[in-house]
Amino acid sequence: MAEELTDRVMEETPGQVPAAGETQNENRALAIGIAGWLVPGLGHALQRMWGRAGVVFLAVGLLVITGARMRGNVFTSKGNDAFDTLGYVADLGTGSFYLAARALEGNGADVSHADGDYGTRFLATAGVLNLLAALHAFEAARGRKA
Amino acid sequence: MSATSSINLTHIQAFLFFAAVISVAFGYLGRRQPKDRLKYILWSFFLFLVVGIGIGWAMYPFSR
Repeated sequence: MAEELTDRVMEETPGQVPAAGETQNENRALAIGIAGWLVPGLGHALQRMWGRAGVVFLAVGLLVITGARMRGNVFTSKGNDAFDTLGYVADLGTGSFYLAARALEGNGADVSHADGDYGTRFLATAGVLNLLAALHAFEAARGRKA
Repeated sequence: MSATSSINLTHIQAFLFFAAVISVAFGYLGRRQPKDRLKYILWSFFLFLVVGIGIGWAMYPFSR
């Protein structure tokens, strides 16, 4: 009786149980998304979307380099308040470029001038842009959009 | 860590740089065809300028 019922449910809802190939595709898409987060543009490069890969790499790289050299604040995990934590999360969005930003801020942050303040925004924007690009690469890998 | 030279941009230079970089990224991520991308980039850049300058002027009465 129970087996009969299970068979009927399986027949009526064929899309509910993912096939092995579908699960594999999901895992591949997840790996592509993570790769795109760690190295800006890599998620698209792995799918041979060279134009998008190059633009994401250059846009995130330019924002990080400019932001750090304008003496923007590269937030660390030792934040004082919720805004510092949010800034840290946004900065981490740049993946491996976060380390480059830390290395480039040799003189330290200076947000007492407009340059430093703009730099802080550039760094946060680079992180959010990279997260958006990684999500786009993930969705493209799943076949949702390209 | 050795000291690196810092970049100094004016407000308008930083604004234009930001708008240009983000517009190009949006254009490439959001559209597939080159013509569509160019249109999207120009439109996005234009909107960045309009909104940025608009907000700047909206804040002007409270700046002094």
